[in-house]
Amino acid sequence: MNIARTLCVKQLNGISRTISRKIGFTATNYEATNAVQPKIQEEKFDFEDLQVIERTEQRKPKIPPFMKDVFVSVFQRDLLAYPEILDKEETESMEKRAETLDKVFQDKTKSKEERRNVLKSTKMYAAPVNWTRNGLAANQTESIRYLETVSPDFELAHELSDHWVALRALQHGLTAEQYAAVIDELSTGDATVTLCIKERIAERLAQPDFRTTATLDAQGVWRITGEKMCTRGDGFMLVLCKVEADHLKAFLVHPGATGVTFDGNFVHFQKTTGTPLSQIPNADLGKIFGISRLHAATLCRCQLKYAISKIVEYVKPRSFSGKPLAELSTIRAIVGESLLHVYASESTEYFTAGLIDGYVDPDAELEMAMCRNYINSRGLFSLINLLEIPALEQEEECKKIFDRMRILASGGESLDGINTFIALNGIHHAGKIMAEEIKQIRNPLMHPAFIIKKALSNRHQVKDDPKLTLHLSEHLHPTLKPASDQLEYCVLRMRFACETLMSRHGMEVSVAYMELKRLAEAATLILAMTSVLARASRAYCIGLRNAEIEMKLATCFVSKTISEVRQLILDIDNGEFLNHDRFKVEFGRKVLDTNTVLVERPTSRVFW
Amino acid sequence: MATKILRHILRLPSSHFMYRRWESSNTKVAVYDPFANKPKKNKDTYLEAIKMFENQDNRRRGHVEFIYAALARMKEFGVHKDLQAYKALVDVLPKGKFIPSNIFQAEFMHYPKQQQCAVDLLEQMEDNKVMPDSELEQMLLNVFGKRGIPLRKFWRMLYWMPKFKNLSPWYLPDELPNDTLELAKMAIHRITSVDPTMKIEIWQTEEIEACIDKTWIVSAQSETQKILLSEQPPDEPLVVRGPYEVYLKEQVVTYFTLLGKVRPEHKDDFDQDDVSNLKKPSGIPGFIGQTTLPVVKCTVHEQDDGTIVAVCATGSSSRDSLLSWIRLLEKYDNSVLSNLPVIFTLTAPSNDVVVQETQPAAEDVKRVQN
Repeated sequence: MNIARTLCVKQLNGISRTISRKIGFTATNYEATNAVQPKIQEEKFDFEDLQVIERTEQRKPKIPPFMKDVFVSVFQRDLLAYPEILDKEETESMEKRAETLDKVFQDKTKSKEERRNVLKSTKMYAAPVNWTRNGLAANQTESIRYLETVSPDFELAHELSDHWVALRALQHGLTAEQYAAVIDELSTGDATVTLCIKERIAERLAQPDFRTTATLDAQGVWRITGEKMCTRGDGFMLVLCKVEADHLKAFLVHPGATGVTFDGNFVHFQKTTGTPLSQIPNADLGKIFGISRLHAATLCRCQLKYAISKIVEYVKPRSFSGKPLAELSTIRAIVGESLLHVYASESTEYFTAGLIDGYVDPDAELEMAMCRNYINSRGLFSLINLLEIPALEQEEECKKIFDRMRILASGGESLDGINTFIALNGIHHAGKIMAEEIKQIRNPLMHPAFIIKKALSNRHQVKDDPKLTLHLSEHLHPTLKPASDQLEYCVLRMRFACETLMSRHGMEVSVAYMELKRLAEAATLILAMTSVLARASRAYCIGLRNAEIEMKLATCFVSKTISEVRQLILDIDNGEFLNHDRFKVEFGRKVLDTNTVLVERPTSRVFW
Repeated sequence: MATKILRHILRLPSSHFMYRRWESSNTKVAVYDPFANKPKKNKDTYLEAIKMFENQDNRRRGHVEFIYAALARMKEFGVHKDLQAYKALVDVLPKGKFIPSNIFQAEFMHYPKQQQCAVDLLEQMEDNKVMPDSELEQMLLNVFGKRGIPLRKFWRMLYWMPKFKNLSPWYLPDELPNDTLELAKMAIHRITSVDPTMKIEIWQTEEIEACIDKTWIVSAQSETQKILLSEQPPDEPLVVRGPYEVYLKEQVVTYFTLLGKVRPEHKDDFDQDDVSNLKKPSGIPGFIGQTTLPVVKCTVHEQDDGTIVAVCATGSSSRDSLLSWIRLLEKYDNSVLSNLPVIFTLTAPSNDVVVQETQPAAEDVKRVQN
């Protein structure tokens, strides 16, 4: 068999590889058979030493960053197998704990204190902490599941999310002694940590964007001065500060520290002492704090889910024109669309958590940001549509849901900020790979032969009809072939979009925000499509309950989303005049300058 | 033969042919000028004079000369921007007589002198930005018919004038105020509109004890300019430049600028085509932008010849009022001015350069070197 496979492989180089696929030699699939099989690495530990008994993780070897590669149309097809991180034992234990939490959090009669107590008893405040420190050593998949359960109490869920992220930062950033000194208090839930990162936008030209500074005084103590956006003023605070002009460092501020004043949504520090998280390099700060984006996405999604259930409760007993209100197709469509967003967001979150938990040294910053980006942009609009159904009848409830969603969507960071982060990271990755090509495209007279070749090779892309060469359908259930082709189309268009952008702007691409925003949105939708297809395919293959509905949801989602991605990339390709950016930006500039609507009233006339 | 004559006529330049007839008689008729001896020169007397002309002779002899004379006197009577006055002049022309009745008359400029007179009247209206209305159109139709040259002129005016009327991005009212302070505010608002955060203040020089010239000052400075001024190094002098002129319709307002140092140009020495190492953000949620400020030129106030840190117009445009302006700037949020030398390079009224070490107001007047 091996000899036969080798022989086949030798014959299937270059073009013949594609041909062989088309004529259906799936058994001799070169790519699939020769693909790198994941090697399971087990962490070794010494049974003799009780101190090192920790949860073992079976991580696959390090893989290249998934979504960054999508920016250059490279797709790791192995990831179309939806991640299965937890084994049977772990799943059972997680579900048991979630059930305990669920009982309390679904019960509206329970007080906040009772809820806190159940969180303490289930060790939720120590979820990311190691077993040896009396924690759960929960990975991201479990964290999201627990967060979903806690989400009915919005404040507690928000607090818990910050606490978990901070615990991970402390684990990596503090020295062993410092960590040991604080972890017991934090694990019990008697005190929680709040993240203090965001600052107000500079109100004066002389102010830098980031102003909180930490300086080392004569006694060798770090002193923090500045102001942060923060909704809770009690407990520990993890404060991001600049040290030495452009270097960033996180500091842990203990409760009751001097110089801390809390004022509504802002906390002020005046020479407050802080413990530096000096063990953590600057580059890793982003990776750890980035987890809060994943948590925010989960909380947003849970709010949307909650809104759906509220609307169902509202619609069911009501009628319209002698028929149940639920029979109105418009209402059904709105609820259906919201379900699609919930399904897509849920798939993306667990897919991303799987990436983080399943591989060694994962680079999933972009994916986490995309999770938040997706549900922020889609969730908010979907929620508005849902809340239009009861209109003003349940105003208080609607206001509460909308306000929570708004806080989650805009709290921490803005949608534009996330989009820019996604696009700049993607384009940075693409730039490294495509630098030589871009240089030649931007200097066509110096490289005429290359330009002719490029024109020929890009002819399908220019016609918006790329040749599908990734064969993604081979990794999904056969019934998802059309949907996987649509995903493939989107992936293949990404390189062309990056190429267009970089060749148009060169180094200035990092300030072409409008186009970068489109690129980020397209990439986010591709991640959502990938996760949805992978999840539905797996569900159908392993025979989950309602798997056929998942297949329909996935197909519908992909075919609905492809048109958005197509338009986004076409808009990038068309440029600022055809996609109207130029005009919109100009109108906006004039309005910002004059603070008027620019035009005269409709009743104005010139009399002659 | 007839064909030859027609061809000859067609070959002749039409303007030559048509205008000769009345050019010879132009300005040769001495007419009584009813406008000369009016004791009061206003709209009422102007219209009264026109009415008198209309009533004195039913045949309205010399009406072309009368209209030309009336047009020349409009400014004197202050009616050069008054549509009603122009209408009254058009009304002087007899109705019906000048309407061509066949194609030859229509083509070869029937009553060219009268038509030219009406065109000149419309031209004067256009010069004075008086927009005609549909009543005037009706009047011209009654006088010259729809094929008359004045009608064509009228229609062109009606097409273009509304478009040009509001073309300027700086809105001005139809009638400018007579008060110079109001005019100065408008002028300063116009020249500082480049920065939407600009704040215009009106100060009195009396606020400075040592001032000689008691007048007003319209000063404009934005927050950005205040910061740029605060960054001025103490060893580099500020320069007061001017007077410059800005026109508001027919009115002129002079203004002065205070110039500071220029920050270095943004260095553009990297390869625009090299995308191998593009900048990327840190990825910390909530952390955006920079921890430091740019040290290069990046605001609209930073021009090649200097950074404009303030602009003003004063009631007298004198050097003393400008000195008071510097003092007032110092008093209102620009304390850095107390440590900065200021050079006055005014092209008028004198050609000398004045160096002023800006110290407390009581002392500084003594130090001015004239």
